[in-house]
Amino acid sequence: MRKNAQTAHRLRSSAGIWLLLLALTGMTISIGETGLGGAWVIGLVMGIAALKGYLVSGFFMRLRRTRLLWRLLMLGWLIGVVGTVTTVCLTAVK
Amino acid sequence: MAQLGVASVSFKAENPPGDLAIWFFIFAELLVFGVFFIAYAVARSHDVALFDQSQLLLNRTAGGANTVVLITSSYFVVRAVAAIRRGDAQRCSGWLLGAIGLGAVFVVIKLAEFHAKFAAGITLSTNTFFMFYLSLTFFHFMHVVMGMVILTAVAFKARRGGYSAEDYTGVETGASYWHMVDLVWIILFPLVYVVH
Repeated sequence: MRKNAQTAHRLRSSAGIWLLLLALTGMTISIGETGLGGAWVIGLVMGIAALKGYLVSGFFMRLRRTRLLWRLLMLGWLIGVVGTVTTVCLTAVK
Repeated sequence: MAQLGVASVSFKAENPPGDLAIWFFIFAELLVFGVFFIAYAVARSHDVALFDQSQLLLNRTAGGANTVVLITSSYFVVRAVAAIRRGDAQRCSGWLLGAIGLGAVFVVIKLAEFHAKFAAGITLSTNTFFMFYLSLTFFHFMHVVMGMVILTAVAFKARRGGYSAEDYTGVETGASYWHMVDLVWIILFPLVYVVH
C-alpha cells in the first residue's frame, strides 16, 4: 500500500518535472533562435542546462533519495563539468 | 517523532536504483563525456570566431527537437519503472517500447543531420569545430543505440513476465542507463548548438 502511494506520488512529480524540462528546453531553443551571444547568454544557457541535469539526475534517476556519496558524485560532475565549461567559455568572451 | 526520524534517515540512505555495477559504468561514461566537453570549451576559447561561424551551419531545430525527444523518452522510462513497481508488466513493456520508438526518432533526426553535413562536404578534418561536433555527437549517438538495445531486451523480458513488483532491478538498470544518455545530451545541446 505504501509502495503504491509512493509510486503515485512519484508519477505526479515526474510528470511535473517532465513539463518543467520541456519548458526549460523551450527557453534554451528560444535563446538560440534570437542569435544573441555573450557572457550573460552563456551563463543563462549553461545555468539552464545545469538545472535540467539536476532535475533528471535527482528525479528521473532518483539520486536525490540516495546516500550522500551518490548525490555528491552527481552534483560534483554537474557542477565540475558545467562550471568549468562555462568558466572557460566566459574567459573567451571579448 | 524519534521513529519518524529513523524512518526518514533510512529512506534517505538508499543505493541508486538498479544494479550497482551500472552506476560505476554510468559515472565512468559521465567522466569521459565531461572531459570531452571541457576539451571542446578549451578548443573553442582558442578560436571563438571559427567555432561561432561553424556553429551557424548546424541545424539547431533538429538539435532542439532531439532534446525534446530524449527528455520525453526519459519520462516514458520513468513511467515504465512505475508500472513494474505496480506489477503491471504489460504496461511497463508498452512504455519502454514508446521510449525505444522515441530513441528511433532521435536516431533518424541525427542521421539526417549527419547526412546533410557529409553532403555539404563537411568531415572530421574540415576544422576543429566539426572535428568536435562530429565525434562528440557520434559518440553520444552510439550510446543512444546501445540504450535502445538495452531497453529492447528489458521490454521483451518484461513482456515475457521476467519482472514483477518484487523483482524489477533489470528495469531500473536499463532506465538508469537511458537517463544518463538523456543527461549527457542535455549538456551537449546547449554547449555545441547554442553557446556562442
